[in-house]
Amino acid sequence: MIRRVWTAREADEWTKEDWIAIVLSPLCYILLTLGAALTIFLQMSGYIMLGIGIVLTVILHWVIDPKLRAISADYETRQQSYLRELEAKVRWQDTDSKQP
Amino acid sequence: MNVEFVFLDWLWVGLFLLLMIGSGVLFYRLGKRSEADFFLAGRGLPWWLPASSVYATHTATDTPMWITGVIYKNGMAGIWYTFFCGWAAISAFVSTRIFRRSLAYTQAEWNVVRFSGLGSELLRGWMAGWQFFMNMFVLGWVGIAMGKVCAFLFGWPIWIGLVVFSLICAIYVLAAGYWGVVMADFQQGIIAFLVIIIVSAWGIHVAGGPTGILAKLAELGELDRINPFAFTGWWSGDFPIAWFITMLMIAILGGFGMGTTIDWYVEAQRIQSARTVRDASYSIWWGTLLGLIRNSVWAVAILAFFVMFPGITEVSEYEMGWFRLGFDYLPAGMLGFFFAAILAIHLSTISSHLNLGALYATRDLYQHYWNPKASEEKLVLVGRVSTAILLLGSFFYGLMMEDLTSWLIFALWIMAAGIWLPNILQVIWWRFNAWGYLSSWIANLGFSWLVVWILPAVGLIPELQDYQQFWILMVLGALVYLPVTFLTRPEPMDHLVHYYVMSRPIGWWKPVRYEAERLGYILPSGKVAPEAELASRP
Repeated sequence: MIRRVWTAREADEWTKEDWIAIVLSPLCYILLTLGAALTIFLQMSGYIMLGIGIVLTVILHWVIDPKLRAISADYETRQQSYLRELEAKVRWQDTDSKQP
Repeated sequence: MNVEFVFLDWLWVGLFLLLMIGSGVLFYRLGKRSEADFFLAGRGLPWWLPASSVYATHTATDTPMWITGVIYKNGMAGIWYTFFCGWAAISAFVSTRIFRRSLAYTQAEWNVVRFSGLGSELLRGWMAGWQFFMNMFVLGWVGIAMGKVCAFLFGWPIWIGLVVFSLICAIYVLAAGYWGVVMADFQQGIIAFLVIIIVSAWGIHVAGGPTGILAKLAELGELDRINPFAFTGWWSGDFPIAWFITMLMIAILGGFGMGTTIDWYVEAQRIQSARTVRDASYSIWWGTLLGLIRNSVWAVAILAFFVMFPGITEVSEYEMGWFRLGFDYLPAGMLGFFFAAILAIHLSTISSHLNLGALYATRDLYQHYWNPKASEEKLVLVGRVSTAILLLGSFFYGLMMEDLTSWLIFALWIMAAGIWLPNILQVIWWRFNAWGYLSSWIANLGFSWLVVWILPAVGLIPELQDYQQFWILMVLGALVYLPVTFLTRPEPMDHLVHYYVMSRPIGWWKPVRYEAERLGYILPSGKVAPEAELASRP
């Protein structure tokens, strides 16, 4: 159900794994923030929120990390040429913008 | 209050300052190698270094005052005021990823990657000038907060705290640029986090521990103060649910865009200094989370302060609550350690904004518009000169701050309200063009004056709460930038295809995607065609 092996071409697309990260990530922030504060106050609600927050954080990274690794590895191979274009642009030099 | 330091206290302070200046000297050679080194540490940092910089930069001298203010006044529910940084939750996996792939040094430069022609250049120039000004303002703001802390602690004239510590900070920023900033931030982040935990735990202990605080809150009839959802109704009171929903929307959905909060401009530099897309994502996510956990610890400590000193009505008095926990209750010899941590908090913010403001001045203004053929050596020199100008400017701002505060909070508000949605649209919608975006800035400038100040002053509309202003400004702005967008041409398709293949943005990009597929740059399943990859390689 959750894909953990990616080729570069597949990882470049926005897929359900990205949307899972988009939904889980704010939840993690909210649960960890409130959970930490209420845990210091020794509140049961704090323990529960903090616990769920930690579990969701682990799941979030488990889901998105393989994809981020694949994107990064692929993009690194193209980065130098993009950097050269950026330098040409800041120096008002012509670039062939039709050639990605 | 006047704090008495013993020899051990001054030793802590001296050692800390030596450590910071030492890091500048240590990384001097790396910083001066190139513009990319002076401003982005050569784009090669592992995620935990920019993450510590995100955390350290957003822990400023005025942060504990501000958070103390909202928690003391509203209880735990006040923690939502600190949740504006929640934009990083979605951004880490969306806009951070897209921005990192653009490789733009700054958000101003990103405009010419995303848009094209005169409109994009106008945007770049405007944004660079605005950011140079904003960084000078933040430096003055944070600097004067340090002046006030020193006046509060030692009885010094305010200008001493403003000038002396910013000057010390400038030594390592001038020497090593962003290398110095990020290495010092790492140390400062650790020191600041440790001391925040120690002082807060000490304060909680003095107040009777967690159970003691709860018992005293119950005695005071204020037990609801630990409820983070203690709102004052749907629409009424200081803390309505309508405000909460608006804030949550601004913060969380803002992560789809770029520049939806003022913090984005600082993070943009950290994103580009990360060595890969993955490192960039994690730096933003974990750096922000650390800040949120810090806020949680602070919130409990401030409630400890509340039960010890309830009923303070003077804002300037209760805002110093967390500092008082440290200086009133820590043992002799630890006060200097606490002050060194306050310096760490202060210097990390000052150094980041000095280097960031200089980046806009050097890359976007000097290099792009003045001297495009400048050598790397010259660009580093201009970076240092810009840093010095920012420093001097911040002293003037800081000393004028009392008069300027309301104007400048208004200026910050301008950045957040009417252009919030355009900042998202520029990322997620291919048809949104430079003229639409530029018109949203101009429209927002006019409408925010009208809605916030002029119309209420002449009695045409009532004084509105800030969340109401936000919605009105968002609708009014859309009435301008949407027609402008549709009445002007889209960006040239070849420019958009180039941007799409490089950045792979999320959202509504179908026509651009089809064109990229038709030209063979992307296969229908999404793969960048091998021939396009080869063509773009050296």
